[in-house]
Amino acid sequence: MINANLKASYGADERVLDNRYKQGFVYGMIVLLALFTMGANDYAILIASKMGLLLIAVVGINVLTGYTGLVSLGHGAFVAIGAYAVTIFNNVFTGTLPAGIMPFLSVPFAVALAAGIGIVVGLPSLRVKGLYLAVTTLSANFIVIFLIEQEVFAPWTGGMVGLTTNVPNILGWELDTKREMFGLIAVVGLATILMAQNLIRTRVGRAFIAIRDRDYSAEILGISLLRYKLTSFAISAAFCGLSGALFAFFYARILPEQFELNLSLELVAALIIGGMGRTMGPVFGVIIIVMVPEVIKITFGAITGDAAGMAQLRAPLQEIAFGLLLVVFLLKEPLGINQITDRLLRAANRWPFARG
Amino acid sequence: MKLNRRSFLASSAAATAVMGTPMILRAQPSEYVVASSLPLTGPFATAGQLVSPALKMFEALVNEDGGIGGVPIRTTIEDSGYVPAKALANYQRALATEPNMVMYYGDSTGFMKLVAPELKGENATLMGSTSFASDLANPAENPYQYLPGPSYEDQVDILLQNIKDAGGTTVAFIFSNTEFGRDPIEHGRKRAEELGIKVVLEESTKPQGADIPTHVTKLAQSGAEHCILQGYVTGVWPQLIGGARQFGLPTQFHGTFWGMEKLIADRVTAEAGPFLSGYSGVMPYRYSYDSADAPAYQRYAAFQKKAFAGTPLENYMPTWGLQSLASLNLGIEALRRVANKGEEITADRAAEELAGISDFDMGGFFGGPVTMKDNKIGTGRVYTYDAETTLFTPSSDWLTV
Repeated sequence: MINANLKASYGADERVLDNRYKQGFVYGMIVLLALFTMGANDYAILIASKMGLLLIAVVGINVLTGYTGLVSLGHGAFVAIGAYAVTIFNNVFTGTLPAGIMPFLSVPFAVALAAGIGIVVGLPSLRVKGLYLAVTTLSANFIVIFLIEQEVFAPWTGGMVGLTTNVPNILGWELDTKREMFGLIAVVGLATILMAQNLIRTRVGRAFIAIRDRDYSAEILGISLLRYKLTSFAISAAFCGLSGALFAFFYARILPEQFELNLSLELVAALIIGGMGRTMGPVFGVIIIVMVPEVIKITFGAITGDAAGMAQLRAPLQEIAFGLLLVVFLLKEPLGINQITDRLLRAANRWPFARG
Repeated sequence: MKLNRRSFLASSAAATAVMGTPMILRAQPSEYVVASSLPLTGPFATAGQLVSPALKMFEALVNEDGGIGGVPIRTTIEDSGYVPAKALANYQRALATEPNMVMYYGDSTGFMKLVAPELKGENATLMGSTSFASDLANPAENPYQYLPGPSYEDQVDILLQNIKDAGGTTVAFIFSNTEFGRDPIEHGRKRAEELGIKVVLEESTKPQGADIPTHVTKLAQSGAEHCILQGYVTGVWPQLIGGARQFGLPTQFHGTFWGMEKLIADRVTAEAGPFLSGYSGVMPYRYSYDSADAPAYQRYAAFQKKAFAGTPLENYMPTWGLQSLASLNLGIEALRRVANKGEEITADRAAEELAGISDFDMGGFFGGPVTMKDNKIGTGRVYTYDAETTLFTPSSDWLTV
């Protein structure tokens, strides 16, 4: 029995960070991220930035799949829309609008566009569910990438060869290093998680959860499926669009092949591994998806050295090791890593009494 | 010794030299690193796995020759899976973990374009790659990246000129729906028009698992005398030619560098018959068996026999390996020129020396001495495959564009 989280008022119960552990964790993470931004080497910054970019998109998928119960295999498309929209906006308005305020206009534009297209892609969710919905959303990925690659749109999208992106300029501060960009990604990433955490304690969030648990019952309770399913699609697409916008700021060039089906699957895989419908699920999932291949690569490299034959063997072995690890995770804990950490934290909280 | 102004200055200079020398010696690293990303998994794993031993051979031979200014080199190989973002992460990792990295070898057009804007300041590194993409030969925009041969546009120019010389009047372009496939098409269209050759079909296909009967039917409807295939490595191009022959088409097929590998042509011939006979294409380099006038090839062959016994590399170096070796040799030459001047190796100095390579004897890779122009070497020769001898043999002189 956890008895350390006493809440003496409704106000305390409604807070986003509703106990001291959560507060300590969030403030601790802010300090750690600040220290990391200042002290980590370029490679660590690159990996952390990749995690941050993926995290924002996975938080978006979590709203749709984790909280609303709607499966999507096409959210890579919204990341692409965000990345291309922010770059095209910059290219079109460079010279017309001051550079220092450009991100304040281009990013909301990209997010709004992704949300708008998210609503369109979400329309089939009113008719189909489960695997059928997954297949209909899958088409979004193919259609968006197909359109980006078309020669007719190439003057804006760059077609197959992609676009060189712009360095973001925030009120005169040019974020032209990976370290500065990581600072921005970390702040936005943290804000995204808090927004998602906040969302689920609102009327809208509770409606999402009701739809996930039983959509017929939710409708009988007066929840409009049309309104809330599409809202969920819009919010999740908006998060993915935000991730895409930062992606375009982070990488010096964007290519259509960066946003293909692989990305959509990676987003869903990260969510499943981390834990669906949990605030920290995307964080754990992204750490596993990005870090584990790197750790395996470094470990195998240290063991096998630089021999050419070993380099050839190492690459497929890394893939196999990663695949096996995912299978083991899912077999041992289908509810994701969040469930494992919950169990550990519960045990720590009750120690030395009951465990598990 | 009487101390006057002159002797004081001379003594001071000598003392500075004596005290300064160990500083210079200390500044010189114990090794230089040539890092690389290769597709050891993914769609082009066959190529990556054949190229990686060539890189290790290169390391051994360069070190036999004294490395770079007496400092040995070490090569590192990371898998990219042919994903540009993974290759970029590999590059960033190498930057962060290998302080003595002097050159990088990338593995795709996508990666080279993705990394290009990042090559500035401390992140700049001399960079060769497996790509012959036309955009990469642009020293004004990016002085650090270079091509170890002609661009795809140059290769298509050579093919079109050859078609024109053979009296051809119509051509079809069949290409994979990738950046690699589309690269020379627009240029090829214009060049064909200049030469008076009519482009009767532009057909894009999937890079793998293309719908062969549909594409062959379109080719038949176009009535093209010649067909240029672009953007394929191990698959699609042999199936297209096989499909056309089954259909009874007399079209002559031509390819560019990545569609000219003997191992693939031999395998197709062994499994499906001799229909690739007469297939021709552009090769910037001699094939490894054409080593009579290529002392570098003879040295490689001796090494391969010893080090790669029992593997496909024992008696043959794939064209993909030759390209990597040519690229790395050019890079090492530039780095050696910097070192020989007694200067510290930087990306800017290396790029400057690379751009200045002129009439350089590559040991037989190309038809003769080569000159780096616009960060590429615009020479090549047309080779034709003979299914009976299973050899690609020259069917043109060395052409420079």
